[in-house]
Amino acid sequence: MSATGSSNPEYVNARVRSRRAALFAEEDYRKLVRMGTGEIARYMEETEYSAEMNELGARHSGVDLIEYALNQNLAKHFNDLLEWADGPLHEMIANYLRKFDAWNAKTAIRGVYSGASADDIKTDYIRAGEFGDDLLDQLAAANSVEEIVELLSDTIFEEGLADAYEEYEESDVLVPLENTMDKTFYEHLLDVADGRQAPNTPRGLYVEVLQAEIDFRNIRNALRLSRTGTDLDPDEYYIEGGKLFDEGELQQLVGSFDDLVEHIRESPYGDELSAALTDLNEADSLVSFEQALEAALLEYSDTLSYTYPVSICSALSYILAKEREIENIRAIARGREVGLSVEEIETEMVVL
Amino acid sequence: MIETLPELANVVLQGDTVTGSPALEPSAAAAIAVGLAAIATGYAQRGIGSAAVGAVAEDSDNLISGLIFTAIPETLIIIAFVTIFVV
Repeated sequence: MSATGSSNPEYVNARVRSRRAALFAEEDYRKLVRMGTGEIARYMEETEYSAEMNELGARHSGVDLIEYALNQNLAKHFNDLLEWADGPLHEMIANYLRKFDAWNAKTAIRGVYSGASADDIKTDYIRAGEFGDDLLDQLAAANSVEEIVELLSDTIFEEGLADAYEEYEESDVLVPLENTMDKTFYEHLLDVADGRQAPNTPRGLYVEVLQAEIDFRNIRNALRLSRTGTDLDPDEYYIEGGKLFDEGELQQLVGSFDDLVEHIRESPYGDELSAALTDLNEADSLVSFEQALEAALLEYSDTLSYTYPVSICSALSYILAKEREIENIRAIARGREVGLSVEEIETEMVVL
Repeated sequence: MIETLPELANVVLQGDTVTGSPALEPSAAAAIAVGLAAIATGYAQRGIGSAAVGAVAEDSDNLISGLIFTAIPETLIIIAFVTIFVV
């Protein structure tokens, strides 16, 4: 409920585990993949998502309804998490949920840039982060990108945003602004945990999961840059805080795809990713490798939540699993809408 | 505090020789034992209880098992209670 007092991991763990068990399992996905969008909506009405589906059913329909219901459900669950957690635990969870602040800020910027109405922007928000409703409404009502940048100057995203805004004014593309915000989020991830925790303590393992997430993000960016062979500067996309790459190291590795793959294989993640890396060498697409990265992260956080039940780890693993579920259902719904085959949709999903 | 310890020990020893009774009566020691066990029980139940409340809040079917698990640390204080009859 607040960041004061001591943590209450027992309570949070009990509630989170119960919700974790209610997430869709593999067989649910197998059913969903074979349904049309209408059927998916009806299926969702009978599960966890019924409240949101009923609430939004009057205003939206089809895939949009599914998507908004998913977002609203996600926000509800994550706000619950924040409400339960006390003390340092609350801080750590809130810190991770800033991901949605970054998402909301980007949504606002894109909306304002493309001239969407304030109401449209508000429906696209995922109200799960630290930003209050006031700030979000102000962001949506902003008339220019500049106004948004000013509104954000009181938040953690202020860092580097002014430079990015200048760049945006010169080139009129949103990429620098969005990159800066994502980078800020990831680089603040380790703030609460203060990087130098002893290994094999719950805190230390929490840091490890976050580092793994940052590393995987770096791997993904590096592979994409390397595969497309662009002449973009990899350092611009480099996120600090991970264990795998040092600043500057990325530059030379991106040049050669084989070196990069070899570097990943020799890293501590090599064992978990070796099968995916072999696939990657054979297949042309990065999609399955990226899904393997997601699955590895999910599995890793899961293991930790069993090793240290009475810590932040179980909450973190729930957050990751819930996010995955939302993305999986969205992938199915969108995939069915445009008429992808079952196999194609399955490659887009991450199921443990 | 440590410097005053020898002095304190002297006083206690002297008292012993004067009155002939120990500083701590057996029944007082038993009371301390029971009290410490009660604190330990409370500490154990703090965690289990909050987890049980969380589980029940999600699904009221968990009420029975939650109650049972919360009651298990009671054995600590019950066993400590025996001390009273032993001394």
